[in-house]
Amino acid sequence: MQNTVTAGIDVGSGAVKVVVMEFTDGTPKVLSQISSRIRKRDIADVVNEVMAQATAASGVAAIDYVATTGEGEDIPFATGHFYGMTTHARGALFLEPTATAVLDAGALHARAVAMDPRGKVLNYKMTSQCASGSGQFLENIARYLGVSQAEIGPLSLQADRPEKCSGICAVLAETDVINMVSRGVSTSNILRGIHESMSGRFARLLRSLEHGPVIFMSGGLAGDVGLVKALEDEFAALKAPTGPPPRIAPHPDSIFAGALGAAIWGEFRHRKLGAAAPAWKAA
Amino acid sequence: MSRTAIRSEVVEWASGIYEDLEFTAVRQWLEGHPGRKACGYLPVYAPREVIHAAGMLPVGIHGSGNIEIIRGDAFYQSYICHLPRSIVEFAQSGRLDMLSAVLFPSTCDVIRNLSGMWQILFPDMYVRYLDLPQVADPALGAEFWRRELEVVRRELGRVAGVEVTDARLRESIALYNEVRAIIRQLYALRSEKPWQVPTEELYLLMRAGELVGPEAFLEKAREYLTAAQSDDQRVRDRTRVIITGSFCEQPPLGLIKTIERAGCYIVDDDFLAGNRFLTGDVALEGDPTTALAEALVRGAVKTSVLYEPDPAGKRNLMKNRVAAARADGVIFAAASFCDPALLDRPMLRDGAEKAGIPCIAFKFAENSGQFQQFREQAGTFSDSIKLWGDA
Repeated sequence: MQNTVTAGIDVGSGAVKVVVMEFTDGTPKVLSQISSRIRKRDIADVVNEVMAQATAASGVAAIDYVATTGEGEDIPFATGHFYGMTTHARGALFLEPTATAVLDAGALHARAVAMDPRGKVLNYKMTSQCASGSGQFLENIARYLGVSQAEIGPLSLQADRPEKCSGICAVLAETDVINMVSRGVSTSNILRGIHESMSGRFARLLRSLEHGPVIFMSGGLAGDVGLVKALEDEFAALKAPTGPPPRIAPHPDSIFAGALGAAIWGEFRHRKLGAAAPAWKAA
Repeated sequence: MSRTAIRSEVVEWASGIYEDLEFTAVRQWLEGHPGRKACGYLPVYAPREVIHAAGMLPVGIHGSGNIEIIRGDAFYQSYICHLPRSIVEFAQSGRLDMLSAVLFPSTCDVIRNLSGMWQILFPDMYVRYLDLPQVADPALGAEFWRRELEVVRRELGRVAGVEVTDARLRESIALYNEVRAIIRQLYALRSEKPWQVPTEELYLLMRAGELVGPEAFLEKAREYLTAAQSDDQRVRDRTRVIITGSFCEQPPLGLIKTIERAGCYIVDDDFLAGNRFLTGDVALEGDPTTALAEALVRGAVKTSVLYEPDPAGKRNLMKNRVAAARADGVIFAAASFCDPALLDRPMLRDGAEKAGIPCIAFKFAENSGQFQQFREQAGTFSDSIKLWGDA
């Protein structure tokens, strides 16, 4: 029986996610997965802290391959680094085997990735530099409205008359929100308006490539039920000429998709390269 | 001092010279050598041995992306590369006023025209356009280049107030043979163990070598080589790539760092190609000018700035380089509007792809400041080779 242990470290702009996986004759099993918000701390410190927690929780004494993704290129104990879209595509297939595309919506940007059933990236598109389609923007708005992150989605679902806001510029959108508050628009309708604006952008991204029938949502925004609903409604309203709208597939572990993909590709590389000294050992 | 500390010290020294837009190293050399002069040269190849034999400091003028261009843009149209703009800016702002001579090799029309501008702008400076031999007949080419070198030798001697004797030229050739040898060693070590010699460090060292003279460069290069051979670094799972097309205008350091950080080991490149233009030692016997001419005509590196007589030569070039460096792929990285690099690229790429070698291509300018697109391209290229290729 061949056992390989790998770790995937996804350094995002808002959080660090670490996954430790064990592969027995190639069959993967997640041993631990831990994330932590960066919150103005030194990224290296956060990585070390989350890695220590994840390895302790997994109970492993050594890791064969430590794979990084996202902004994790400089992690000193890494074996290899994979680009974000490569890992999110593979992580999506692990969590949702029928996925044909990924919408990775994170703190600072969003990207749409189309892949084949092996996880090979076929095409991708990213949002431009404006922050209006990002989790950070949504978080800022929630703070202005005095709403916690966990409340954003459920509140958005309660909206009855959503207010449109700028989908192009975060500065204009913030001005729109201030105007809405002063006009007495309800928090639910404001949040749903923002979700509609964001989902419009995301749908355009996805439609610019052949996304297929199942779109997996990864990144920090995947857990926002209001955004998922707005995206489903956006596609339903488009009345695509060919077939039904795609299924939007969030997952409770969506936030770990990049780290999972990195760990899985790490096992692949470890197998391809042959046995080598462990990349990490317990102190 | 530990090996890591020695290595860091050399890199810091080189980085200081690279970032200094006032050419302080050249000015300090002139202050330390009263009565001696400095001679600049542009990319790609100039015979540094002749400059050195005249008692002058050879100074590589490679432009910079870190200088604000105010006057340089007035000299060139928008469809011309960035290199001459920053060089004109350096000159017009007085930063190159310590030079007594400048050599302009026949790299492209832009550099040829720049030599004409220089003559008009700086009538008191010795300016020479070097017509490198572009002929298929080696005997004819060597004789042509020997005559050209004789003129440069005589005229630089006149500028420096020194007779460039055969003995002096032979000594300089011997010194530059040592320089070429250590550069070959450094490149070989990087190709064998790229984790021991990050290209960012190697590039900085090579760049400093363009400004400090061969003696000082040799000292630092030997220190670095010794330290790098034994200062064990962590081996990463990265793709081995060759960078080609950056022989004249240089990429910003951030681009080199970005490519390596994105998951690639650069195992061969043509950055600052002039310092290893001659692939072997120059003979120390016989007439030294003839020896230098023969070395260029018979032993120059294959490059876009020299005529390639073999019709299949360019198509096979990348295949041969990839095999020699055991590379997994090729990144064609040329400066925007670089005629020699961009005109050759289709042939080089076609040859590489027909040989089954994965390739990507992009353009940069020496002042490129945003590296995200390069990061994406290099990162996905590396992933595609590691996960779906043969690496």
